[in-house]
Amino acid sequence: MTLRRDHVAGAAFVVIGALTLALSGDLPFGTLASPGAGMLPTLVIALMMAIGLVLFMLAGTSPPLATIEWADLAHAARVVAVTAAAIALYTSLGFLLTIALILFVLTFAVERKPILHAAAFSICVAVLAYTFFNMLLKAPLPRGLLWL
Amino acid sequence: MEATLDSLALGFSVAFRPDVLLYAFLGCLVGTLVGMLPGIGPLAGISILLPATFGLDATKAIVMLAGIYYGSQYGGSTTSILMRIPGEAASVMTCIDGYAMARKGRAGAALCIAAVGSFVAGTFGVVLLTVVVAPLAGFALRFGPPEYTALLVLGLVFLAYMSATSLVRTMLMAATGLLLGCIGIDVMTGHFRYSFDIKELGDGLGIVPVAVGLFGLGEILSTPAKTMTGVVASPRLAELLPNRQEWREAAMPMARGSVLGFIVGIVPGSAHIIASFLSYAVEKRVSAKPEEFGQGAVAGVAGPESANNAASTGAFVPMLALGLPTGPVTAVLMAALLIHGVPPGPQLVSEHPQVFWGFIASMYVGNLMLLALNLPLVGLFVSVLRIPYAYLYPLIIMFCIVGVYEVSHSIVDVWIMLIMGVVGYLLRKFDFDPAPLVLGLVIAPLLEMSLRQSLIMSGGNWLIFVQRPIAAVLLGIGALLLALAAASLFKRGDWRGRLAVAEGGEKP
Repeated sequence: MTLRRDHVAGAAFVVIGALTLALSGDLPFGTLASPGAGMLPTLVIALMMAIGLVLFMLAGTSPPLATIEWADLAHAARVVAVTAAAIALYTSLGFLLTIALILFVLTFAVERKPILHAAAFSICVAVLAYTFFNMLLKAPLPRGLLWL
Repeated sequence: MEATLDSLALGFSVAFRPDVLLYAFLGCLVGTLVGMLPGIGPLAGISILLPATFGLDATKAIVMLAGIYYGSQYGGSTTSILMRIPGEAASVMTCIDGYAMARKGRAGAALCIAAVGSFVAGTFGVVLLTVVVAPLAGFALRFGPPEYTALLVLGLVFLAYMSATSLVRTMLMAATGLLLGCIGIDVMTGHFRYSFDIKELGDGLGIVPVAVGLFGLGEILSTPAKTMTGVVASPRLAELLPNRQEWREAAMPMARGSVLGFIVGIVPGSAHIIASFLSYAVEKRVSAKPEEFGQGAVAGVAGPESANNAASTGAFVPMLALGLPTGPVTAVLMAALLIHGVPPGPQLVSEHPQVFWGFIASMYVGNLMLLALNLPLVGLFVSVLRIPYAYLYPLIIMFCIVGVYEVSHSIVDVWIMLIMGVVGYLLRKFDFDPAPLVLGLVIAPLLEMSLRQSLIMSGGNWLIFVQRPIAAVLLGIGALLLALAAASLFKRGDWRGRLAVAEGGEKP
């Protein structure tokens, strides 16, 4: 049997539903006259698992799993890693430093742009964005190490 | 009618205030850019810029954000016509004949027809909105919890029925959204649900981190920079005017697209996308020369462009009159109003007339602004498309991080955005449309509250939903649609399938 896209998707939703149901153990379902905090989640999980099962059963017409194009995965993973690092540093390094760094790393390291172009771009954009958000919109940005 | 005109006069007195005009202009400008740039749709644009409106009053905020929404429908046509890349999903149909016209040297005429069609349909939509919303809001005052429950269920069923992908996939996404909407403290019992001792999750998942993650970051992750081309031709101002024959061919499609688009816009789902698809199909069906479609037919540009603009205006009807979002964009706009302390719904007209009528009036002005912006400045806008994507997407990521953080100054929200970005990337790989997920997330608290209130009211009797006439009719329509949609599961080649193919960028 060929493993198809919707086999994986349908099974994933059934598994997610089962796991969520297991996590919902302490939520009271209540009664119809006095519905509890667990009523809607339980109904929705049941619906999700049922539809997931339908998707799994109708998967025969979906494309084989192997045909899904993953050529962009490496690029996406790099972008996610850089963004995650920026989020982790955002409140400690502050807006200006973090934004300049993320822009530089994305343009220079991920997109392979010339180092001077990347540096000029990241510094200019970070300063302009700081001016826009902090001075024009009066949005309180994290100050971090530079008290900015 | 006299009362409506008086109220509209009040609205224009608000809309013509210089500060409101400025924010309407900014919204239209940003919307045009958002619509043009591939990878940023109106939802991502509105979500990212939502925090920038926190310092504004409710009227200016909603005027600016709505300007981004309908402005993006104007801007989306530019890349479709000049580059055959839909800047916005609703412009997919414009790619076919718009680009064909451009290849024949009629790019300027196609852009002009798209802009005029958008203006005509947008203005027509606002006129209908003016007439329809207030009476509908009055009617909605009769709604109690059972009617709201039935209406929300009908909304979800409509969404599944109108979906461009399959019924099963849409319902799965909506169910996932409903489940995510259950996260946080249960307001009726105080129970913490799925918050894993993270106190920031007590208030539930915010719509902004989820929407920005799924639509902003998710789109970027799915779009490697090297696939984006920066080569684009810019038509000269003198080439913008269509000839007499082209005007004649565009007139009726514009009229039909306006009516069709507004009606489809009221229905939940990706209304502006569906409207443009239906309009294209209608124009091809009624045309005396259907063989010209795909080869640069003027009606193939005028109809869909008018329809998607009228639909984006029609989508405001349920949002303003009933307090119900019909899609993720109106859901974010609703969230914006709530953040500013203005709950949308039947009481909006009576309790916040300045916001309501100011918003309506600003749309008349906004459509004029967009016409003025989009025609003479097309060359300027096109130059934005020359920014290499390798520099553009880091900028968008910056706006995503700052925008999400500024909503509640919570770094947890920014992590949620990143997780949702990855989820959005995976959903696209498996051909799921994330829009119903966002809608489910917004609807979940409303649905849960009205469902539980209804059951408590009836002492646990489910029959309350069929004993009250309005609720019974709404649920009856829902059941009928569900049956029709289920039947289509076993029938290949219906209009949803063709729409999904068209959205994938192929000729229908």
